[in-house]
Amino acid sequence: MEISRNEDGAFVLSRIEGHLGDFLRAIIASADPRDDQAALRRLFPEPVTAPGEEEARAEWKEYVRPELAELFNEAALVVGRDLEGMEERLVIPPSHVDAWLNTLNQARLVLAARFEVSDEDMEKPISTVLENERDIALFQIHLYGFLQECLIRGE
Amino acid sequence: MTETATETLTRTAVDLPWNVVVHNDPINLMSYVTLVFKRVFGYSTEKATQHMLEVHHKGRSILWSGARERAELYIQQLHGHLLLATLERE
Repeated sequence: MEISRNEDGAFVLSRIEGHLGDFLRAIIASADPRDDQAALRRLFPEPVTAPGEEEARAEWKEYVRPELAELFNEAALVVGRDLEGMEERLVIPPSHVDAWLNTLNQARLVLAARFEVSDEDMEKPISTVLENERDIALFQIHLYGFLQECLIRGE
Repeated sequence: MTETATETLTRTAVDLPWNVVVHNDPINLMSYVTLVFKRVFGYSTEKATQHMLEVHHKGRSILWSGARERAELYIQQLHGHLLLATLERE
């Protein structure tokens, strides 16, 4: 895979070969926490943990959490539309970069929560021998992180 | 406790600022955390990087202190960027 920028400032991912395309298409599904409680806790952490703040936590859950969920969904919709029709080339317009950063982060955090990824896991060399779901998730986390890094450096 | 002492303690508690604290997690990229600090707080790259390194090495950093209402807005923005952030009384 090669990443460059065109004259409009868009990021162009080209030579998306082999399973890379599948991993990119998997971003949206990976970002969905479904009913995984660990993933939901990570995407929607409590704003205050001190005792006596139960009312504040309840109000946050009622009023702020739906706004955050909408924000995450809107970002994922933008990314989903960019991924539609992707073959060996993908174009990310400058105005979509924030949505991509957000959705890639959602996917990385959901995968990490679901598979209980630790600091030690993240420090291990990246393996391309993917023997089980956890190996695949770790590879996705690194791949999506690489893509985030490219988008951030190009900002 | 005298009435004056109670009033003083109450006023002190009300006046205490709230801290916006960001906690470390193994997944968020250092460059991403720095970018978010710059965007949310308007910090320079140098200041944002200092806070990011404090989060990375010490596990947490106080990004902002002040009135609760504004602190909650910062927490909401940080959660919108998927950082682990909490509100703490100083």
